[in-house]
Amino acid sequence: MKDTETMIEVIELHKRFKDLHVLKGISTKVKQSEVVAIMGPSGSGKSTFIRCLNRLEEPSSGQIYIEGIDILAPYIDVNLVRTEIGMVFQSFNLFPHLTSIENIKLAPMSVRKISAKEATERAMALLEKVGLADKADAYPEQLSGGQQQRVAIARALAMQPQIMFFDEPTSALDPEMIGEVLDVMRTMAKEGMTMMVVSHEMGFIKEAADRILFLVDGLIVEDGTPDYIFNHSQHKRTIEFLGKIV
Amino acid sequence: MASINLMSEIPDEKNKFARTHPGWSVWLRQPAIVALSFVLLVAYAFFLLPSKESAPPFLFYLSINFFIVLVLAFTGNILADNKKPEILKMVVALMLIVALCWLFYRYSGAQWEKLNDFFFNWATLDGNWWILWQGLEVTLLLAFISGVGSVLVGLLIAVLRTLQSPTLNFFLKTYVDVFRSIPMIVVMVFIFFALPFMGISFGSIASTILALSLGYGAYASECFRAGIESVHSGQLEAARSLGLSRWKTIFKIILPQSIPVVIPPLTGTLVAMLKDTAVASIVAAPELLKRARELYTSETNPTPLVAAALIYLAVLVPLVRAVNLLENKLQKRRNG
Repeated sequence: MKDTETMIEVIELHKRFKDLHVLKGISTKVKQSEVVAIMGPSGSGKSTFIRCLNRLEEPSSGQIYIEGIDILAPYIDVNLVRTEIGMVFQSFNLFPHLTSIENIKLAPMSVRKISAKEATERAMALLEKVGLADKADAYPEQLSGGQQQRVAIARALAMQPQIMFFDEPTSALDPEMIGEVLDVMRTMAKEGMTMMVVSHEMGFIKEAADRILFLVDGLIVEDGTPDYIFNHSQHKRTIEFLGKIV
Repeated sequence: MASINLMSEIPDEKNKFARTHPGWSVWLRQPAIVALSFVLLVAYAFFLLPSKESAPPFLFYLSINFFIVLVLAFTGNILADNKKPEILKMVVALMLIVALCWLFYRYSGAQWEKLNDFFFNWATLDGNWWILWQGLEVTLLLAFISGVGSVLVGLLIAVLRTLQSPTLNFFLKTYVDVFRSIPMIVVMVFIFFALPFMGISFGSIASTILALSLGYGAYASECFRAGIESVHSGQLEAARSLGLSRWKTIFKIILPQSIPVVIPPLTGTLVAMLKDTAVASIVAAPELLKRARELYTSETNPTPLVAAALIYLAVLVPLVRAVNLLENKLQKRRNG
């Protein structure tokens, strides 16, 4: 059963909100260092899907294995699972009462219990990496959207996760700021991070993604390389959707 | 000449937006008319108002009431005009108050001498000020300890409510609703007079602190809850996705962000609590009102009560102003 290559395995995942059946049995595997883009029309369950994978939403039924471990088992500490999975949100969700560097240091210090000095060093290195070393002491409200999102990525990376989830990371950004965020994500992909990205940034997906999952109404209707999905798809819904967003 | 002067704010030429009738309000608000009516009012006061026993009752009341109507109309005419300077409005409003007080003083037939002897007999307080001072000390002490107590109770309830357990919430909500509905005096009487029958006795000070902490804790919890609910749910998700536990999320993310929202209503609640310490005189806690009532009995004169009222004013008015300032400051900071 244990497969070192497989980072995430999902089997027959269902999610219901009261009467609304959002996910109707999703099964897939994500290998180490793989970059998986999740596309689909709105309301198809893309966000719900990745939010189930770190249990921000409790799945209604199904199985989820992260690094071969069943994370829905009753003895699992969900907070430990989440330390392994970084998450970046559409609306950034930086903590407004903390500066950039404090945002980044908070979780490593209070969850991983590393020293303040080490946390500061790690945070500065990450800020350097996302190109915001000079904004260490700025509060989120003093940063542009693109800068906030880059700090949010640094904050997630500070926990040294094995996996990164991106939930529409560029949807709330002005067009001229999308590039700077995608650049950071591209670098992460090159460095071998396992990533699941809900996004419709075609350029980024073509270049960086290994696979696309195409979701419609809570089901994966297509699963293939960007080249296959964009150029050779035979599926009616996929063609229709791509026709609309290009 | 005079008529041109009086009509100075009314345009000479008709246009399609001009009033079709002269416009009483415009006419009445001209400076010359206002000045003239003021002079007439003063003349009325001097020559037409009757002395106390001079006129037959019907004319007597008619004359006074007509004067009051005129004074009100004059004041209203000026206060309702947004082109008049505020300083003028303030002066006119004060003059209205003075005029009404003067009318009351002149015609009410109140026994002013007796009133003065009775309620403002400051001689009864000679050597007794220190008793009131001691009362104030106890009042402030009660307020401080109960303030800390109610903040702790409120915080505990609000934090427990964030756990969103339906069962726990049911009991917390019941607690808050019950204590917000019962008058403070009832809680105090219950704790001080009824609990001893169940074998639990508190002194008057302790039962006051307990009652105020429990009661105002319920109010404080509502303040905290509003603050906590003002924090965006995305903050919670971000904290949880970083692996922060429930408690760390509450103390490092939610509470620090809700404090600026909580402070204004919470300080308001605490000021109301300071005022409510007076209820403790019912259980004989030696606070300000109780001390004043003791003096009232021993001196057989209510002046000490008036003095206590003035002391409450002297303490609370600055406090209320301070809370207001703090509120504005926080509001400004939140709006950037």
